[in-house]
Amino acid sequence: MRNKRQRRFKLGVIIVFSCLWIWGAFVGWRNLNVNHNTTSKADTSQSTKLKKITIGYQKGDILEITKVHGNLDADMKEKGYRIVWRSFQSGAALLQALATGNLDFGRTGNTPPITSQAAGTDVVYVGAGYSKYNGSGILIPNSSSMTSVKDLAGKSIAVNKGSSAHYLLVRALESVGLSIDDVKLVYLDPSAARIAFTQGKVDAWAIWDPYTADAQINADAKLLVSGKNYTTDRDFILSTRAFTNKHADLTSTVVDGVAIALDWANDNKSELSNQLQKSLKLDKEVTDLTVSRRTYGVSKLSQKIIQEQQEIADLWYRLGYIDKKIDVDKNVVGD
Amino acid sequence: MKKKITWQRLLPMLIPILVLAVWQLLSVLKVIPTNILPAPSAVILDGIKLTQNGELTRNLTISLYRATIGFLIGGSIGFVLGLLNGLSRISNLLTDSSIQMFRNIPHLALIPMVILWFGIGESAKIFLVTIGVMFPIYINTLHGIQSVDPGLIEMGRVYQLNKRQLFSKIIFPGALPSILVGVRYALGVMWTTLIVAETIAADSGIGFMAMNAEDFMDMETIVLCIVIYAILGKLSDVIVKYLEEFLLDWQQTD
Repeated sequence: MRNKRQRRFKLGVIIVFSCLWIWGAFVGWRNLNVNHNTTSKADTSQSTKLKKITIGYQKGDILEITKVHGNLDADMKEKGYRIVWRSFQSGAALLQALATGNLDFGRTGNTPPITSQAAGTDVVYVGAGYSKYNGSGILIPNSSSMTSVKDLAGKSIAVNKGSSAHYLLVRALESVGLSIDDVKLVYLDPSAARIAFTQGKVDAWAIWDPYTADAQINADAKLLVSGKNYTTDRDFILSTRAFTNKHADLTSTVVDGVAIALDWANDNKSELSNQLQKSLKLDKEVTDLTVSRRTYGVSKLSQKIIQEQQEIADLWYRLGYIDKKIDVDKNVVGD
Repeated sequence: MKKKITWQRLLPMLIPILVLAVWQLLSVLKVIPTNILPAPSAVILDGIKLTQNGELTRNLTISLYRATIGFLIGGSIGFVLGLLNGLSRISNLLTDSSIQMFRNIPHLALIPMVILWFGIGESAKIFLVTIGVMFPIYINTLHGIQSVDPGLIEMGRVYQLNKRQLFSKIIFPGALPSILVGVRYALGVMWTTLIVAETIAADSGIGFMAMNAEDFMDMETIVLCIVIYAILGKLSDVIVKYLEEFLLDWQQTD
């Protein structure tokens, strides 16, 4: 008798939980599709046959600013395209998606396209951001006695391997006659590096904004040097050769669209800061600092910019981070 | 007698509750700085905030959807393969060692390949969960069938059961305890694989929420995600444990 009641109770629990489970999964499926529908429905109601363009961005970058501004979506719609925006956690993941044909455009910092080209992918440059070296640099604790790059000799420095900050660090060290063998490099991604730095496990941290601003405001850090004189630390808008060969006109549409959004960004920095604060979930002070020390803008690649990238490629080859010499010029798409 | 039982029922909760209490106390006393580990109350408040703006429920249900589909596909494949290899020697010789090789590849190492094959959409995430879930179910189904008491099968033959009856009356019930252990284990693997899967160009899901929080040091949300994973793991375990007791109560001898 008791056994029977227990059995029924267990069956009840199983059924209730399973129903909740299936209901939850169903709601999830609907949530996923609602996402897709809201973008496609709005489009289909106006013009039925819009071709899809996929653009990858990272939180808070120039493409996200363009996405929020909305002007590029409008331009593309006029040309018969609909943009699907995809967010990525890192430049490496974005490039992988780009190289495998899952993205048509994307943005990364200055070093990922170098590694990608060396790996033999057909990723090409279509646009370059204005330099933003003021927000990048080598951070040290406020209490540190270091005053110049020379003092870094023998110290441990956190850096994201192969990143733009890594390049900045090597250039800074070499400018005073040090090499990376004279310091102790600790390879950490930004979130892990932040913990190591604030806990005093490393003496310095080479990093970019908004992490720099965040550490300066919230973690008692100061810049030993910024990226000035060492790097331009540009953003790059990338695509693939296969795509640009087929849609040369769209390349200009994207670069021009981003340029328009960034003009707006320069004129409305406080509003931009609010936007970034929401997107990045950072303090207002941090995004204010990030936005204030940077001029936004984008252009096609000039000879000077190509030369800058070539310098990175040559240094990366010399240090053995890429295993063949590459010609940046070959992977640039212009008019 | 009855008192003793309720007392024992509460015992498993003792350690989590004690840990929470000490943790809250240390946070309030500022022994643990909040930027290293936020107080439990702060985590709960964060959870309430994220539930109110709908972010938590949205991500949770989307994760649940991916997990369920992956589990159903992977579980079915693992189960069928386990059955085949358990019942047929030829099939076992043919596929078992290949499966064992594939089984030990870390999921993180597969990501570049998964992006190449499945792109960056839902199918890539579901595929990862599928292969994560497949192996525990495969191994335990196979093991369950192989370890059915040969004496019982012999007895079935003596009673002149045909092949189908032999399977449904003796082999399958005999293998069921082991299969359910596989299901229990697979449910755990399902959640851990999903975290990895949701780092591929995801913009939703609990794994995405955790990664996003990690990027910008949002400690409350990081801890919240950890707690959610723990609760989801425990809940799935409870369901299977009850299912086990329900389906296997013929085993109890008392």
